[in-house]
Formats: sequence, structure tokens, C-alpha cells
Amino acid sequence: MTQLILGQLINGVIVGTLYGIVAAGITLTFGITGIVNFALGAFMTLGAYMSWYLTDRVGLAFPLAVVLSLLATMVAGVVADQALFRHTRNNLINGLLVSIGLISVMEAGILMTWTATPQEMHFVLPGVLQVGGLVVPKMKGLVALILLAVVLGTYAALTRTWIGRAAFAYAQNPEAARLMGVRTRLLQSGVFVYSVGLAGLGGALYASLYSIDAGFGGTYVLKGIEAAILAGIGSVGGALIGGILLGVAEAIGSIFLPAAYKDAYGLVTLVLILLLKPAGLFGDRK
Amino acid sequence: MTTWHHKIARPALRLAGATSLVFGLAGAATAQGVVKIGGLEAQTGPASIFGLMPSQGVRMAVEEINKGGGFDVAGKRYTLQLISPDTQGNPQQALVQAKKLLEEEKVQYIFGPYLTNVFNAVSPYVQQYNGKVLLMGGATGMHGALGKPNMDFVIKTMPWDTGSAGYGSMMVDLLVKRGVKKVAILMQNDAGGKAVVDIYTPLFKDRNIELITEFFEANTKDFTSTLAKLAAAKPDYLFPGYTDTSLYDIVRQASEVGMTHFFITRGSIGPGMKNAAMIDSYIAWVPKYFEQAEKTQPKVAKFVADYKAFYKTPFPYDQAPQCATSCYDHVFMLVEAMKKAGTVTEVPKVKAALLAMQYQGLWNIRYDATGESILNFDVVEVKRGGKIDVTHIEPK
Repeated sequence: MTQLILGQLINGVIVGTLYGIVAAGITLTFGITGIVNFALGAFMTLGAYMSWYLTDRVGLAFPLAVVLSLLATMVAGVVADQALFRHTRNNLINGLLVSIGLISVMEAGILMTWTATPQEMHFVLPGVLQVGGLVVPKMKGLVALILLAVVLGTYAALTRTWIGRAAFAYAQNPEAARLMGVRTRLLQSGVFVYSVGLAGLGGALYASLYSIDAGFGGTYVLKGIEAAILAGIGSVGGALIGGILLGVAEAIGSIFLPAAYKDAYGLVTLVLILLLKPAGLFGDRK
Repeated sequence: MTTWHHKIARPALRLAGATSLVFGLAGAATAQGVVKIGGLEAQTGPASIFGLMPSQGVRMAVEEINKGGGFDVAGKRYTLQLISPDTQGNPQQALVQAKKLLEEEKVQYIFGPYLTNVFNAVSPYVQQYNGKVLLMGGATGMHGALGKPNMDFVIKTMPWDTGSAGYGSMMVDLLVKRGVKKVAILMQNDAGGKAVVDIYTPLFKDRNIELITEFFEANTKDFTSTLAKLAAAKPDYLFPGYTDTSLYDIVRQASEVGMTHFFITRGSIGPGMKNAAMIDSYIAWVPKYFEQAEKTQPKVAKFVADYKAFYKTPFPYDQAPQCATSCYDHVFMLVEAMKKAGTVTEVPKVKAALLAMQYQGLWNIRYDATGESILNFDVVEVKRGGKIDVTHIEPK
């Protein structure tokens, strides 16, 4: 049993990094633009389809396909920002409506381009790592490490660079940041596109682990929002930890309780944490 | 000299001649009727693995029959008109489409659905047309409706798992012969998944095979935690999911936690073939193993060639076995039944003719007294490395 629990602890952490990268995108976008971008799930799906298409259909090497998918998703993010979200800055309801509309458009585009039939990428890195009886698929481990590095790198960039500090300053006091020379429009667009890129990268890597369909991103954006709330909106590092907590709650819950209600175990964890800490684990109570 | 009589009479005669010609042609045209048939399958979406091939097969048969000039019933020539919307496996959408088929298009013969959730959604509505309509589908849930009052409209084109001709019973016996003592079931937490568990639980228990059952939500992609839990119980075989959409993920992830034996009653051998390097045994009920049948059965070879020519795409060998239900053969069977019944509109007579028939097409198909299909089938086992064993079974 101990081995089973340890194994699922590791699996929960791995799955949680996928929730975490979406949560990081959600919390960044909300902090800087004031909207909850539900369409991040659709961007994740786009990244996944691009990665699958470039790898399996075009025949590119997987790492190159991931980079190109990331770039393509970010280009789509630029278009979405300039055409739509630029007009919804700091307006939660309008942003929400636009993002929901964008999900429909993007899903329809994906369905028209690649049909509704689920797709599955060939094995990029087959095999498993066995450590003391614990089994970790190599590709899952690699994806988790990449996502961990990206989220931690984002956190480091936010805390150690001028742009990061500018973003923090803007999140705390937009007017003061503007007066201090922060180009706020550029900052908002940059953060929006970066968040879309995080989702696109998550999707591109996701495609190497699971089968993909036009609607899978919807599940992940909900998990991402759960993780971001659990962590406390505004904390990028916390978003990662929130994602991991959700993943672990689902994995461990499935061992002791029926797996059919796996999603509920994460939600129960979220409710319990919010009861104890209403602002989330790392959130500011104000 | 041309008189006024001539001036009027000649054009009048011409007009009369032309009119009689037009009406004569119109009369000939009405002597040829059209029988509308409907389709109610998922042609796209995660469940299209079940619905695409049947809907394509029906379309091919309709084209073939119409190109051949149609068919004669009681001295009148008919062609077929197919109206086949895509349900995408969505029950609400399917219900709207069923209403359109019956109310607007006045269709009396519908092929499909294959999906139990769709059947559950449309059945109460179609029941209002009992005696005037036939709903010929492969849905597992249709079994419970057969022989019930006011459910004469149901014909189940997919064989049933249990009973003397049941493929499921035979497949479980195959496991018994291999000395299997414990099986883990991992099934969708929906109507279809629960129906499968309800069917197979007594089958396994009657043969003293221990069962461990878990369900999963249909949108699940990561099964690792559930599979690890099941693997800890050390089952001899895993009996997972009922759609390839889930099977690809399950088989791949199960093999990673050391589960390498699979028992499949709904789905293709595709997931087994894809993961052939990591599995030991993937036993699947396959209505027909087309790769082999194409080489030995002329009708199958013709069907494969016709499909490629018609759709101008490679033949989908993994999905083709789904043509065992509400597909190519079944359109020809319906036409034969109409001919024998001497009517295209009196549904009870057509149904009676259909149930009395034994048809030899791609499959040898007949129905039992309740309206459930019995047909010959294959059990395919994919072994490590991709080696394939095929067993042909002809139910008594």
C-alpha cells in the first residue's frame, strides 16, 4: 500500500504540473489585465493539435514541433489580444464573455481543421523509470520537469527582472506604475500573450502523453482556475503548488475512494482550504 | 389556303399532344416511388468509432441500389433516399434529428443508433410511432426493449453478449480455458459503461472469476491512479472501456504499470496493435477481421474495393468491423424484406419479412424472434510484437 500511495503521490505531482501551468497563466492574466481568460483551455488545445500535427503528420522532431506550436499559439494570442481582449482590459464580465465566445470559435476551427475524431501521437519517449519499485513513465517525468522549470523560471523572472517587478508594480498600483515609466499597454499585451504561450506549451507537451480532442482544454482550464483559487490569485509559484495539490488530491483520493468521482476530490480539497484560508494558500486576504 | 380552322386546330392539336406527353411522362414518373430512410449515428466525435462506418456503409448501399435502377415492390419501382444527420453522439441533438426525420421527412426506416445514451434519449419519442417505424440500431440498451409492449419499432442489429449465441459468453469461456481467476473491469461511468458491467458481472461470477470493478468519467485522460489501484490487486486480465477513445489511453497507461493482458468486447484491435510492443495479450471481439477476410471472401474484397473507390480514402480496417450493425448488409436486407412483404409502407409486414430472413452478405445475418441479430464473428488476439491469432465463430 505504501508503494501504491508513493507512486500516486508522484503521479499526482506530475499531473498537477499540467494544472499548474494553466493556473499560472490564469493568475498572471488576471493580475495584469483584470480578466479571467477561460480561453486558455482552447489555446492549450491549439498547442496540442499543432504539436501532434507537426510531429505525426508533418514529421518534424518533437522538440521542434513543440517550439513551433508554442510560437503558433503565441501568434494566435497576439491576434486575440489585439482584436478582442485589448478592449476588455480590467472588465471582468466583458473579458469573460469574450473568452467564452473565443472558445467556441477556436473549438469550431479545430473541429473543421482536424475533425472531431480524437488523435494520438506516436510514442515520443517510450518506456518507464523504475526506482525502488515505483514506476514513472519517462515521458511523463520529462514533461513534468519541463513544466516545473518553466513555472519556476517565470516566478524567477517576475521577482528578479525589471519587467517582472514592473508587472508586480502594475498589479499593485497601475497608476503609480504608469507614472514610473512602465509601458502599461505593452505590459498587459505581453503578459496576456505569455500566458497564452504557457497554455500552448502545456498543450504541446500534453499531446505526447494523452490522446487529444477538441474539448480537452476545457477540463484543464477549470482545473487551472481551481488551482489558482486554491493558491490565492496572484501567486505564480502558488499556482504551481495549487495545481500539484489538486493533482495529488485526485490521485490519492482515487486509491481510497471510487475513481469515478476523481474530480470531486480536488474540489473538496479546494473547499477545505478555502474554509481555513479564504484568500487561498498564498493569497493576500485584502 | 389556310382557314381559321387550321390556324386554331393545328396549334391546339400540338398543345394537346404536348400536354398528353407531359402528363404521360409525369404518370410514368409517379410510377417510380422513393423510400426515405434515415440514419441516426455519430459520424464525428469521440463516439464516431461506432457510427462513422455504419453511416458510410448505409450510404454505399443506397448508392449501389439506386445506381442499379432501384427495386420493385408490388409492381412499382422504388429508389432510396438517405437522410443521415450527424448526431455527434449527443443525445439531445439526436432527439431533435429524430423528430425531424419522423415529422418533417416522414421517414419510416431509421438505421441507428449504436449508442445506448442516444437510444435512451430518442426511444420514448419514437415509441409514439410504434407500428409505423423501424429503428434498427446496435445500441446495447436496445436489448432491454426487445419484446416489450409498444416497443415493436426496435430491431437490434448488434448481437447480444450473452445467451447460447452470445459472443460475450464464448469469450468469457475462452478466459476460463486459460485459467483466468481474476479480472479487473474499468468502465465509463455512464449508461453504456454500466450496461456493460451489468451484462458481464454475472457472466464472470457464474464461472467463478473474481471481479474488481472501477468506473471513470468519460473525459478522463489520466488513468494512472486507478490503474495502479487495480494493478495492486493483481488481476489476470483488464477489461477496459467501451470506446477506442479511452482504450488508447488506458492500454498505454496500463502497460506502464505492468498490466499487459486485455479483454475487449467493444472496440477495435487498434489500441492493442499500437501498444503491441508492451502488451502480452489483447483479446477482442471483432465482428470481422477484415485484413484476413479480404483475402478469402470475395464479397468482402469487393466491399473494400468499392469503399476505396466511393470515398477515395484508404479503407479503415480498424473501424470496418463496426459495419456488422446497421450498415451495408442491412440496407439490402431491408430492401429484400420490402420485396417479400410486397409493401414499402406497412411496417409490421416489412418487419415480419425481415425477421424471417437469413441474409448472406458481408456477414451471415439472421434475427431471433425478438428482433435481435445473430451473426458470425471473429475473436482476435494481438500478442506481444503484433502477432495476431483469429478464431472464426459461427453461432448455432
